[in-house]
Amino acid sequence: MAFFVKRSAFIQMIIAMQVFIFIVNVGTSLHADVVSKWNKFELTLPVKYNDIIKAKYISFAMLFLCGVVMGSITAISVYVTSDNSNMQFVLYGYEFGLTLAATTAGIMYPLMLKIGTEKNELIMILSGIASIGLLVLVSAALTPLTGEMNMKHSLVGKVSTIVALAIFINSYFVSIRIYRHKEFS
Amino acid sequence: MNTALTITGLTKKYSHFTLDNISFSIPSGSIVGLIGENGAGKSTTINSVLGLIKKDSGKITILGHDVDTLDYAVKDKIGVVFDGSNFSEELTPVKLSKVLRDIYSSWEQSYFNRLLDQLSIPATKKIKTFSKGMKMKLSIAVAFAHHPQLLILDEATSGLDPIVRDDILDMFLEFVQDEEHSILVSSHITSDLEKVADYIVFIHAGKIIFCEPKDELLERYGIIKCGAAQFDAIDKKDIVTYRRQDYERQVLVANRQKAAKKYPKAMAIPATIDEIMLLYVKGENE
Repeated sequence: MAFFVKRSAFIQMIIAMQVFIFIVNVGTSLHADVVSKWNKFELTLPVKYNDIIKAKYISFAMLFLCGVVMGSITAISVYVTSDNSNMQFVLYGYEFGLTLAATTAGIMYPLMLKIGTEKNELIMILSGIASIGLLVLVSAALTPLTGEMNMKHSLVGKVSTIVALAIFINSYFVSIRIYRHKEFS
Repeated sequence: MNTALTITGLTKKYSHFTLDNISFSIPSGSIVGLIGENGAGKSTTINSVLGLIKKDSGKITILGHDVDTLDYAVKDKIGVVFDGSNFSEELTPVKLSKVLRDIYSSWEQSYFNRLLDQLSIPATKKIKTFSKGMKMKLSIAVAFAHHPQLLILDEATSGLDPIVRDDILDMFLEFVQDEEHSILVSSHITSDLEKVADYIVFIHAGKIIFCEPKDELLERYGIIKCGAAQFDAIDKKDIVTYRRQDYERQVLVANRQKAAKKYPKAMAIPATIDEIMLLYVKGENE
């Protein structure tokens, strides 16, 4: 039983990291745009500002999707190769990964637009810490409903995913606002 | 006369620098060269024109449209080249063209391919393997391939060898032949501008020193090289600026012919744009 619980937790983490790992490349990719000055050149193209930001967020969403697909391969492999049919632990892996990925991207992109990409690793780490903070906050806020502060409770997983996605969507509008006022010299 | 670009009273203040009340225009079918030392305000002017920085005051009109409300239909008619390459280093020119042909409505793939051939740019090599000159040539090919009405180039010929530079300057001259197209080009290489520009705008410390037709500029300005005694004899009103050197003074005069008549013993020689710029920046005034 202890082995099964340990193994479940490990698989949860694997799925969560697979969902999250793709978003880690965003900082490097944005930094490359700044170094090549593509971010300055793209403003001279016949494209609306909103569309430039929209394209970035669509690419983030596609990265989430890649992560979910990778996580699903793991989940299917586990399902096929073992007799473990409890999908709740798999679902939590997705929720945890999406919370990390959506919060990190949602905080990181507008921050990089505002203060630049020179410290992209630091911004990435801080955004990652903020996403863990979000989980802690949600589990604390839901204690009356979950009975104890439990980050792995299914309700915490669902609510934190919804909050993370809300942060991600709002971040799009914040980024547009920052972009309109940004100067590229 | 139609103008492709009009700048009126452009001002942009930074803590350490002010672009101060810049005004000039680019008549259709002409090449305007923007000259000035590093930090004079050339790039700030170009960035303001392109809407990359927010101006504090002034009005900029591109192809008859206010730059503050520039829509993408107008941007479609503008070709831009900055110093260096602005494209992802992982792309090849062919892959880059696949991106850009969906962005520019008038992108002509066959013309782009011809330009790649003409400028000897490898179409299938990654941009990261290109030299600086090669990257500049690619940027220029991209700017031409969508048939812009106005080309804006910021130090576009830097990093190119004299032969390629000459080819590109010929492309510029051909581009403005039909009187519909115009070019704004900033460059440190004033000899390039002497070859192609119709007008020269000289910016120094954020202010326009002059904006004149190039031919008039080269015709009118002159340098008197003289000793201290001859220098003292020159009417200070005739001196635009001067430089003291070990054994001689170099005096910039705004009217060479008049100076030659007025001071027959001194030799007033024609001044190049480089010399005019140098004397304005490093010279003294009384």
